[in-house]
Amino acid sequence: MSKTASGPARKPRHDDPRWLPYLFAGPLAVYLLLFQVYPLVQEAILSLTQTSLLSPQKHAFIGLENYQDLIDGGDFGSALAITGIYTVACVGLAIGFGLLAALLLDSPFRGRGVARALVTIPWAAPPVAVALVFTWIFNSQYGVFNYALRSLGFAAGKENWLDTPGLALPAILLTTIWQIFPFAAVVILSALQGVSSELREAAVIDGADKLSVFKAVVWPTIKPSVTLLSLFLTIWSLRRFDLIWLMTQGGPVGATNTLVIELYRQGFVYRQLGAAAAVGMVGLVIALAITLVYFRATRRDELARGEH
Amino acid sequence: MLRPTRRQFTLGAAATALLARPAIAQNAREVLSFAAVTFSESGRGEKLRAWVDVFNKSQDRYEVQPLALPFSTFANTIFTQMGGGGGPDIVRFDHIDYHAAIPAERILPLDDLIDTSALKLTATDAYMKVGGKRYGFTFESSNYMLLSNAALLPSGKPPTDFDGFLAAAKAATGNGNYGYAYRATMAERSGFWQDFCNFVFGFGGRFSDDKGQLTLTAPGVIAGLTAYKAMYESGAIPKGADAATYRRMFWEGKLAMEVDNGGVAGIFYSQAPTMKLLASPGPFPTRNLGLIMAPVTINANTKSKAGAAAFLNWALKPAVQGDLQQLLGASNVATVVERPAADLTARPWLVDYDAQTPYSVPQLITGLETKTPELQQIILENVLKVLQAGTDPKQAMDAAQKQAVSRVLRK
Amino acid sequence: MSAEDTSGQTAGPLRIATVVVVLMAALFPLYWMFVTSLTPSAALFSVPPRVVPDLTQWSVYAEAFFEIPVRVWLINSAIVAGGTTVLSLGLAIFPAYALSRFRFAGKGPFALGLFATQMLPEAMLVVPLYAIFGQLHLLNTLVGLILANTAFAVPVITWILKGAIDGVPTEIEEAARVDGCSRITIVLSIVLPLVAPSLAAAAVIAFFHGWNEYVFAQTLISDDKLRTASVGLAGFVGELSTPVHSVMAVGIIYTLPAVIFYLFVQRFIVAGMIAGSVKG
Repeated sequence: MSKTASGPARKPRHDDPRWLPYLFAGPLAVYLLLFQVYPLVQEAILSLTQTSLLSPQKHAFIGLENYQDLIDGGDFGSALAITGIYTVACVGLAIGFGLLAALLLDSPFRGRGVARALVTIPWAAPPVAVALVFTWIFNSQYGVFNYALRSLGFAAGKENWLDTPGLALPAILLTTIWQIFPFAAVVILSALQGVSSELREAAVIDGADKLSVFKAVVWPTIKPSVTLLSLFLTIWSLRRFDLIWLMTQGGPVGATNTLVIELYRQGFVYRQLGAAAAVGMVGLVIALAITLVYFRATRRDELARGEH
Repeated sequence: MLRPTRRQFTLGAAATALLARPAIAQNAREVLSFAAVTFSESGRGEKLRAWVDVFNKSQDRYEVQPLALPFSTFANTIFTQMGGGGGPDIVRFDHIDYHAAIPAERILPLDDLIDTSALKLTATDAYMKVGGKRYGFTFESSNYMLLSNAALLPSGKPPTDFDGFLAAAKAATGNGNYGYAYRATMAERSGFWQDFCNFVFGFGGRFSDDKGQLTLTAPGVIAGLTAYKAMYESGAIPKGADAATYRRMFWEGKLAMEVDNGGVAGIFYSQAPTMKLLASPGPFPTRNLGLIMAPVTINANTKSKAGAAAFLNWALKPAVQGDLQQLLGASNVATVVERPAADLTARPWLVDYDAQTPYSVPQLITGLETKTPELQQIILENVLKVLQAGTDPKQAMDAAQKQAVSRVLRK
Repeated sequence: MSAEDTSGQTAGPLRIATVVVVLMAALFPLYWMFVTSLTPSAALFSVPPRVVPDLTQWSVYAEAFFEIPVRVWLINSAIVAGGTTVLSLGLAIFPAYALSRFRFAGKGPFALGLFATQMLPEAMLVVPLYAIFGQLHLLNTLVGLILANTAFAVPVITWILKGAIDGVPTEIEEAARVDGCSRITIVLSIVLPLVAPSLAAAAVIAFFHGWNEYVFAQTLISDDKLRTASVGLAGFVGELSTPVHSVMAVGIIYTLPAVIFYLFVQRFIVAGMIAGSVKG
């Protein structure tokens, strides 16, 4: 995040007691230590043990064996790959559709306010309800999705979307994108309000076509927002559980088995808490790495723009 | 600035104190919870609540509160709670989870709590003892049979062999009707396993031998899987319809046949009393089909061992057992209960279900009971490869056997 | 793309058509949930499917309200969502201010920790949290659920508020300090009103987190009377005889309050998002 002109962090003034920042930040720090860090440490320890869901107090310390099993077993590699595909597709498509929707709704037309409100409704729908209605929509015999495909003359109109290995991930993706693209649209829409209309008009007067205007004027303004947006979407995609679990449980044949689903499967289907914790730790390292890359990249951007 | 936070805590705590136990001080009875999937079923759920109420009215020391948990998440929720030191006092487990709970010492041995000497126990009681100790009683056991809607069968009679079965299923399909339905998705893993077991057992297959060695590549298993695939590809099944959907289709007259347990037969009967419902042996080379058993157990974490034992002792009384068997449908309970003659004439399929008992095989992998959940997952994932990715049945079961040995059995 | 239209002319027919298509895509699944809920049981499995609701079927909603405990679920979800919102904001406001205005030892790790905790999937911490809650006697209480949800909602909220406070000129505060106001008074009476849109956005995010949450609600709560709508709805899809239209009716009942609430606060979110987390 770039600095604003007005709000650089500063030392508390001489009349602020030294402990004031700690008083301000302390309660939250304690809260997170108790409900996030402490369980996380337990989870890290768990990943070095063989522990059953049924008796979590009984650990057998087995060192790195759970991690070794992840490498040896076939499921983890494919879970990593599917997580990668799912995340990239979610972020790319959500931002793509979000950008299109935002540009579409940016300029004035009658009913724009209503349209803006309506288009963002999917984001407000609870994922559990979304999973159920999309499961019904994708039903192979009675689903309206197949009916629509058949009506449009596609041969695919008999497919068992959520139960066919090649089709389940696209179906899950479609559902996810439907749910999250409005969020991307809202964020981009608000970023678009920062686009200078003088600059834009100047570019148009200079004879620039729409694409050049977008590249030269619009994109540089919204880019920081889109970058941060993509970080959020990435993290949320890595974490997403209820939608996928309720629609496919990671199936069929592991086709939608992302890391979080694999974690849950290890912990609650196989009831191996140690193995589940190992999956979680690897996922956490990946997420942290992505965040560090993001912060490095934005820092470099800021430096390049001479803002620091 | 701490003040608002603390105030919220206090307010929240007060709100919960009000909410969590609305009826705490009304009486001094000890409150126990009893978790069973049956409570969340429509129809049987209400009847079972009424049955529990009889216990609550029969004495004034304990109160048993029904706890409805849905089938799909039942075992995981209970096990998480038990592992965390809590959970309901009394639990009705599926047999497979019973065997997971015992080695983890999550449920109490009942030998000292309940006197069985005067009871006439049913045959399934033999499966309740593990390592010479009893940890539960059969709350419900049920055979599987082929259920048919006679009106939708070309000959009006159920098929008796697999070729006839496939042909009848195909003939009944059309005009929005389907010939047969079963489960074939991991979202319905438990049901998928039950349905698959029926095919394998029907073709004479077993997942393990007498010594507890895994036999996934045995000819009977392969034949059962091949038949499962043949049905999957027959065009006679409503793919994508879950059990709730196709069972509903059955009583609405849109599905000709399905293999299911006696509890479901009871539901069909109550939903469509005028339908000509037939129950017949499985249309496979042998008469063997699956058997579901659900033991009722006491949580080792319970704070009221005596109360839980009192409830189980009450539940085993002859009259109480009779009421339970009556409300469960074509199922059996812990003790032998004669069905009233009027029931048998009104519901002839009850007789058929009872006659299936000698041919019923538990769906647990014998000798590998505690490993069954993991093995089940591996087997079904490979079955799905056959159904959906076109893998050869023999190859798939070879792979399943190898995976099972390397991932599960070596530990 | 939009350059020519920004000067305020009316949009062309192509743009209007595209807007309509996008809106239909966004609203169709919810419309379909509604149609299915009002489809007679016998017509659920008909091909082609019914595309308009059968308005004589309202009784399915009455059944949902009176025969299954939907009301209880909704009240519980509302308590959890409301509690999560209040507690999250209460916990986030002062740390957000501290992150924006103060320099102090440990600030770096604190900020990093706030960011890192956003990456933990709920499913990962279910088991250790269950054990902790067991020791604190918080299992089977809505307060426990609120505490767990807050732990997952509060980092992003702190982040959003910190971004918003960054945008408040310090000169405004200086004036108040000259007048002798304490920091706490400044935060509560000067800074907070200025970041009201972001506060609203943060509140909405916390509220939705609590309203939607599934994994904790399923594991930490076993008492029927304390079940939330997410778990109630998911569990309602049972093995036996739950008709699709009832499931969809409950789905609508669960979705509608969230959507209506969202439409009311939508304008704040847009404003808050700019000032808050996503600012250039």
